[in-house]
Amino acid sequence: MKRLADTSCDDAIYIYLCLIIVICNNVQIVASVMEMDAIVDREKVIEIKNLTKMYGSHIGVKDLSLTVHKGEIMGFLGPNGAGKTTTIRSCLALIAKTAGDITIFGLDSHKDAVAIRKQTGYLPGDFGLIPSVKVRSYLKYLLSLNGCDSTKKMVSLAERLQLDLDRKTNELSKGNKLKVGIVQALMADEDLIILDEPSGLDPLMQQEFYRIMREEKKHGKTVFMSSHNLAEVESVCDRVAIIRKGQLVVVENIQVLQEKTGKVLEVEFRDPFSIDEFRFEGVSRIHQENGRLILTIHENLDSVIKAVSNHRILNMNLQTYSLEQLFLKYYAEDEGAGEGVDE
Amino acid sequence: MMFGRMVYMELRTGWKGLLIFGLLILIVSAGIPLIFPTYRESLIEELEGANKVNLKLPDEQGGMITLSWEPLEAATSYMVLEDNRSSMVMAKLKYMGNETSITFEKDFEERRYYAVMGVLDETSDPVLIGIATTEKGEDPFQELLKNPAYAGLTGGRNISMLEVTGFVALEYYSWSWMLTGLFIAYLSVSVIASDFENKRMDIMLSASISRRRYLLEKFTTMSVIALFIIFVEIAGLTWGLASIDALSEFSANAALLSLIGSLPFLMVIAAVGVLTAVFSQKARTGMGVTFAFVFAEFFLYTFGGLSKSLEWMKTISIFKYWDYLSVIIDDLFKAADFALLTLLAIILVIISIQVFEKKDIPT
Repeated sequence: MKRLADTSCDDAIYIYLCLIIVICNNVQIVASVMEMDAIVDREKVIEIKNLTKMYGSHIGVKDLSLTVHKGEIMGFLGPNGAGKTTTIRSCLALIAKTAGDITIFGLDSHKDAVAIRKQTGYLPGDFGLIPSVKVRSYLKYLLSLNGCDSTKKMVSLAERLQLDLDRKTNELSKGNKLKVGIVQALMADEDLIILDEPSGLDPLMQQEFYRIMREEKKHGKTVFMSSHNLAEVESVCDRVAIIRKGQLVVVENIQVLQEKTGKVLEVEFRDPFSIDEFRFEGVSRIHQENGRLILTIHENLDSVIKAVSNHRILNMNLQTYSLEQLFLKYYAEDEGAGEGVDE
Repeated sequence: MMFGRMVYMELRTGWKGLLIFGLLILIVSAGIPLIFPTYRESLIEELEGANKVNLKLPDEQGGMITLSWEPLEAATSYMVLEDNRSSMVMAKLKYMGNETSITFEKDFEERRYYAVMGVLDETSDPVLIGIATTEKGEDPFQELLKNPAYAGLTGGRNISMLEVTGFVALEYYSWSWMLTGLFIAYLSVSVIASDFENKRMDIMLSASISRRRYLLEKFTTMSVIALFIIFVEIAGLTWGLASIDALSEFSANAALLSLIGSLPFLMVIAAVGVLTAVFSQKARTGMGVTFAFVFAEFFLYTFGGLSKSLEWMKTISIFKYWDYLSVIIDDLFKAADFALLTLLAIILVIISIQVFEKKDIPT
């Protein structure tokens, strides 16, 4: 048995790294759980109870219950046709409910729709603009419909997203049109922001958009955002709700979810190895792919790292189990995912 | 929030189309009266040699008619033929002699024609000097318009195309509804259906306006546009009538009242357009239904004039309640009809709101 004094410098670094990772993970989980508790105590902004929406005989959303709390960014994940848009549009009374209740700011989503909209900014998943007017005029017009006179935030958002306010609406590219949609959803400085798939900007602008979202959160705004862009949800959301075929599959704090699903380790060795060397409790999906070792670690990260250190490493990558993989896991059965009706 | 923002935006984005249509209406409404003098002249000038023959009519029935004509140098005598058709195919000899003027009693009511001919010698055929008639000219549509099938155009009235009122009523009013009514039908459907089809509805309705407010603003837009068109028509007609010095027969006031009467008529069409737009949510379907409504109403009115037993059809036609002839011919503005159409438009808008509030907005 090796004594501590006999361990190599490399071993020591690995052990040290392991300890840090384990501690960090535990701290993260504790912090996440604490945050969850705090969220539960927070004011409910959106409360959906047993929402069902039928399109004739087809199910849009079935018995869906979901709560979004004040000051959080809630991601709403699901493939096309899963029922994300249906849920969002039910919240905004754009479509009628078949059954269930939705309250927003404590108000009934359909009876008090106008009062709710006064406090809600909304980016539809697919939308058109009034043609042949300048973007500035169009946005001012929407502001006036909301009873808001200040264009300060509109101008600031347009600058940050590099949106030319003096262009005509019918001359805009798809990306610029989306920018108009984002600006109009945020410019009236409303307390709740509902975004239906806000992806489609170029990477730089997308990052700026995430920064804007985080700032909105800092200012106490609540964001409910649907997406099938998993990286987007990972970047900005506090919690995520996953919907499948009109039914909610899971609602979870995003970090807790990532921890639950583990981390993926990919190692490329200079020397031969056996996958049996890495069979520890809490380690799963151990397999070899193109000479690389790939495994999923839920616990015993230190043991795995030690086992890895017994070999000469060419390349190594330890990453959080991506939501993409998580997503695939929830849809593993793939019984016609996307079969839902009229998103 | 101020009511009218959507009205302003609609007018702002659609002003070019409205301007072009307004110009078209102006040209047509001003142009029709300008045609009238030429039309009337053409009827009077139709009779051959009318300028060589002079017919002086008595002021009252039973008086004496004096017919005189220009002498023909080579004529040895003259003969006058009488018929009630200008073709003179059934003509009877009225006079034979050397005089160039004759007088006879007006013992008839219908129109009569007199052909004056010069007899040169026994071997030659008589030469026509000219034809005169007891009325200034013949309106070729007169007999046609008495046909009940044309009740849709005349409202069953005896209208003369030789008078400016009759001419403008038949040549402008009787079909201008096709221009204005179908334009309003097209607009009222498209201002709403295009919001559905171009996916603008989600953003519009995510603003803090209710669906009721949305529809009312759209309907108000249509009212403003209809009013604009009507005033262009009034201006055009008055301008045209003034240009031919006919304002004493057809006053600007008559043009104003008769065309203002079309406002609720157009509003009913707009309301049907709004209703079909919110119901179908598709421009093509909406326009098809609204256009069909307008034509069906016209046919109901026309068929209603064919016989007494079909008169009920008239009562369910909106055309009955825009009685422009009543203002133009009888100098009577039917306020009750105006109110009835306004009420119908309001009811249709209320139904549209009810339908719209229950409908899902399509994605």
